[in-house]
Amino acid sequence: MSLVFPIVTLAFMLIIALVKPGVKGTMAVLAVGINALASSWVAINALLGQLFTESLNGGIVFGNIPIRVDGLSAWFILLTNFTLFTGILYGRQYMKRYGDQTTSLSLHYISFLLNQLALTGIYFIQNSLAFLCVWELMALSAFMLVIFEHGRMKTLKAGINYLIQSHISFAFIALGFIWVSASTGSFDFSAITQYAAKGVSEAGLLLFIVFFIGFAIKAGFVPFHTWLPHAHPAAPAHVSGVMSGVLIKVGIYGILRMLLLIPDNHLVIGYGILLISVISGIYGVMLATVQHNIKRLLAYHSIENIGIIGIGIGIGAIGSGIHNSYLAFAGYAGALLHTLNHSLFKSLLFYCSGILYQATHTLNIEKLGGLIKKMPHTALLFLIAALAICGLPPFNGFISEFLIYSGLFHAIAAGQSPVFVVLAAGGLALTGGLALMCFTKAFGIIFLGTSRHPHAGEIHDAGIATLLPGYLIVLFIACIGLMPQLFLKILRNPVELFAEAPVAGDYTGLAGLMQHISLAVWGLAVLVILLFFIRILARNRMLTTGSTWGCGYENSSPKLQYTAGSFIRSYAGLIKPLVITKKHNKVITDIIPEAIYSETNYYDKAEAGLVDWPVRNLKALLGKFKFLQNGSVQFYVLYGLVFIAISIAIPMIINAIQYLSQMIKQL
Amino acid sequence: MINILLIIFTISLIYIGIANRMLTYIRIIAFQGFLLFGVAFIELIEINVVNLVFVLLETIVIKAILIPLFLKYILDRNNITREAEPFVSNFVSVVIITLIILGSFFLANTILDTYVRKIFFIVAFSALFTGLYIIITRRKIITHVMGYMIIENGVFVLSLAVGSKMPMLVNTGILLDIFVSVILLGIFADKIGDVFEEQDVEQLRNLKD
Amino acid sequence: MRLTSLILIIVTSFFFTGIIVRTKSIFSGRKGPGLFQPMKDIFRLLRKGSVFSETSSFIFQLAPTVYFATLIMAILFVPFGNQKGVVSFNGDFVFFAYTLALGKFFMIISSLDTGSSFEGMGASREALYSMLVEPAFFILMGSFSLLTGYTSFAGIFGALHFGSYISYGIGILASFVFITIALIENSRMPVDDPKTHLELTMVHEVMILDNSGFDLGLILYGTNLKFAMYGAIIANFFLTPGYQWYYSVPIYILVQFVFAVVVGVTESFSARFRMNHNPQFILMFTSISLLIFLGVLLILGKLI
Repeated sequence: MSLVFPIVTLAFMLIIALVKPGVKGTMAVLAVGINALASSWVAINALLGQLFTESLNGGIVFGNIPIRVDGLSAWFILLTNFTLFTGILYGRQYMKRYGDQTTSLSLHYISFLLNQLALTGIYFIQNSLAFLCVWELMALSAFMLVIFEHGRMKTLKAGINYLIQSHISFAFIALGFIWVSASTGSFDFSAITQYAAKGVSEAGLLLFIVFFIGFAIKAGFVPFHTWLPHAHPAAPAHVSGVMSGVLIKVGIYGILRMLLLIPDNHLVIGYGILLISVISGIYGVMLATVQHNIKRLLAYHSIENIGIIGIGIGIGAIGSGIHNSYLAFAGYAGALLHTLNHSLFKSLLFYCSGILYQATHTLNIEKLGGLIKKMPHTALLFLIAALAICGLPPFNGFISEFLIYSGLFHAIAAGQSPVFVVLAAGGLALTGGLALMCFTKAFGIIFLGTSRHPHAGEIHDAGIATLLPGYLIVLFIACIGLMPQLFLKILRNPVELFAEAPVAGDYTGLAGLMQHISLAVWGLAVLVILLFFIRILARNRMLTTGSTWGCGYENSSPKLQYTAGSFIRSYAGLIKPLVITKKHNKVITDIIPEAIYSETNYYDKAEAGLVDWPVRNLKALLGKFKFLQNGSVQFYVLYGLVFIAISIAIPMIINAIQYLSQMIKQL
Repeated sequence: MINILLIIFTISLIYIGIANRMLTYIRIIAFQGFLLFGVAFIELIEINVVNLVFVLLETIVIKAILIPLFLKYILDRNNITREAEPFVSNFVSVVIITLIILGSFFLANTILDTYVRKIFFIVAFSALFTGLYIIITRRKIITHVMGYMIIENGVFVLSLAVGSKMPMLVNTGILLDIFVSVILLGIFADKIGDVFEEQDVEQLRNLKD
Repeated sequence: MRLTSLILIIVTSFFFTGIIVRTKSIFSGRKGPGLFQPMKDIFRLLRKGSVFSETSSFIFQLAPTVYFATLIMAILFVPFGNQKGVVSFNGDFVFFAYTLALGKFFMIISSLDTGSSFEGMGASREALYSMLVEPAFFILMGSFSLLTGYTSFAGIFGALHFGSYISYGIGILASFVFITIALIENSRMPVDDPKTHLELTMVHEVMILDNSGFDLGLILYGTNLKFAMYGAIIANFFLTPGYQWYYSVPIYILVQFVFAVVVGVTESFSARFRMNHNPQFILMFTSISLLIFLGVLLILGKLI
């Protein structure tokens, strides 16, 4: 049964390579759809209690490849499929702009299909070696997707940065797997549990840390986040959406799977994850607020949301560490639900940014403005996604953050490690407030006011085919926000894998909470509609329009508006230690001033310290050996020859020396 | 009989060291092809008939006839001069090739394998290193291909050593031949004459990163 | 009954701003307008027509309604003594804070909608200050959660009782923090000056420069409601459970009255901080909340 996926993928790869460019997109959509349906069917069965297990024979190399789909894998498969499907729907429209580059287009779609295959494999397979192979396939296909515009140097550099960091994460994960398989001799995932159970508990902790670092690089926790803000802006919009929505969740899946497989030390692990996540969340959103490139802003924001998911995981781990099942349930449920939510609204935001980019050809917020009148649908989608990402009711972000808060405050009320948890709660509140600032800036500067920069050409809104995936996502967001009980029921199966004790009592407690929230949210919606109705009734008097009040100033122009930089200026002053500020401006010199400009850009200081400085020094060191690379093929062959000769000669010489010394001894 | 053929093979390696003209290189490669045909015939007589016929045909047709013809065609087509221009003088070449043969002789002595007869090993190794040496020290680009052919002959010899036990290995050796012919066909037949005016390896340095 | 709190808050809101204005006038040596005057202004506004700016869009039309609706939603959570609010569940203060944040979000984008530099300034400052206030509120509620072991508004205030001296100290400190949070959220002195409309001094007043008519009426009444709501929360500190309603209601009214007078006095006698100092000032309250938290730990004997 699991062989269906590779076969379908390969078949469609051939088809895509051979058809006309216009049809390639449709073929890709079909392929993704078929694969998604198949794996979703398996996943839904697993969530309903019917686990899917299968065993493939991998020959001498792999041994036995067990394929198990439990609740955790099922949840991730479902959210992956949804985002991949909306991604390819939107991507098909986005790529229409590039219809003439047939080979690049084919390669792109093929990489997308391979990516889906790899992701399905990661969630299905439980054999270390096969897992590593599919992981590598995912990393490489993602790289191919990112560097679609490989003509631009920046894109290529960002892609290579991503590839290198992907491989560092691969090294850590491989290290963990090799450790286990060398100790136990088996490639199966259950060997990890055996290893952790019989050995010293510190060994299990160290093993988990190794895995955690590998998966954290993929997920984007601070300080392993430096590839995210470069890779996401460089990729085309639908790829950024898929990467942010799905690919970084693979790291979260890895961490959760390892938590399931290594059941000791959860208390210490929980504290560690909580600490890193709070730092990631605050740091991510702090840097997101000062960005002017919309995609980079969204990329940094993804780091914040990964931090929030991590807070949920940390709370859950603490809960299972102290055997408080409510904590475990609330924490893990919040984390899993936020994983789904984030994939939804972040992918929607990236699709909107793609629509913006194709309409206005710029990603710089400072050059946009007043687009709500020309692109009302996009504005509405962006608004809903922004409200959801800030965690505001009545949308889904609030539900998952509420679950995490519920866990946090329950821990405080129970008196469990109050200092840590209260600081985490404060940190979470701070990220919420900062996210508010970030997205009011983004939405306000892009869509509201008047245009800050003259645009070449007409701007019109995207067509229905482009907007359809967006509206699908909005429907899903609204569903989760308005009917959270349903999703808590679906979540029960995966979360119960983590919490050991029977959780019926906690589940009903949380389900009751969800009922209340649902009622409150519906109440809010009804209130808004009611008030609006009253307002319309009362507003039947004089309605005139005029220009914005300018305190008597008659010459208002778009330049008087607040820019993004000015919106966050006081805030940027507060976070000066974290960023490197670069200001370019021209000052007024004459009596009659000419046009001047001022531009402020903020760079991530952590990245400068962690990545740029070591790389620079490494380059300087290796530069001293540049003379070896003189371009002459014959020198290179000579190097090869010398190496072979040395590698053959050394054992011979050692042999000879031993022989001689024996001879001398005998004398 | 095999020993004699293989010794003549080794001598042809030394002869390449002192050869001056491009045509001589091509003739030596064809001659080595014939020698290998003989060795293959004697050595592989026990294997499956179809496979044997295939190997023999390939040796004769591709190694001894087709590839030298290709090379001659390229020489004519691109107006490559007759001189093979080495970086080092012929005397030094001969010395080095002799040293290579001696080295592989010592090396073969340290290998205590009962399957591989020593002489095969010596010849294979010498051919390998001689091929590499030719690539290093000749100025023209086309001599790189010739050096590769010599390396390949060496590998073929080694595969023949165990060929009666593992015939598949010989087929792998033949794949190398086919690889070279494809390269010649694809790259050299038309392109390189048009793209590079000079046939000088020094110009390849411009491709440096 | 559950509607007690709602009714009390609405009744108080009618008089709150009136008391503040009257206090300020008396301290300036004037007689001042009647207590009900601000409400009369609001009624007049509700009947007037509106002027909308050409640069604005549907956001501008939608925002005041959403803001007001969120305020009403938030009021439903506030308890009265040991009587729950209309809505009450575990963790409801999270919903409370986030609903208010929803209102703020819409106000901020509605002010950016007009494309005016004044309102952008107000929006930027409002976003910054509300961001800085959030952790203080959450840490404070966390401390009370720790003290009482409950996680809902009604639960916390129902179980709150002051025994030792430390807890009284904490109670006073908490009231002080709450009063200041109320001042910050309502944009009064010393963070913001409601009297002037000059850009250098504005946060909230400038955000609503372009609103008129029904919308402006809604927003102004919303300010009243917000004051009354925070006053109700503060009053809850003083309403020890077990008292009968004929004790609780007068105490409540007294506390609200004192709160209004305190606001009026603060406005009469203090000047607004320099804009640069505001963030530090607000951050200070996060530290004070942390202090309260540590105090609670001390009470419970868990100070590590």
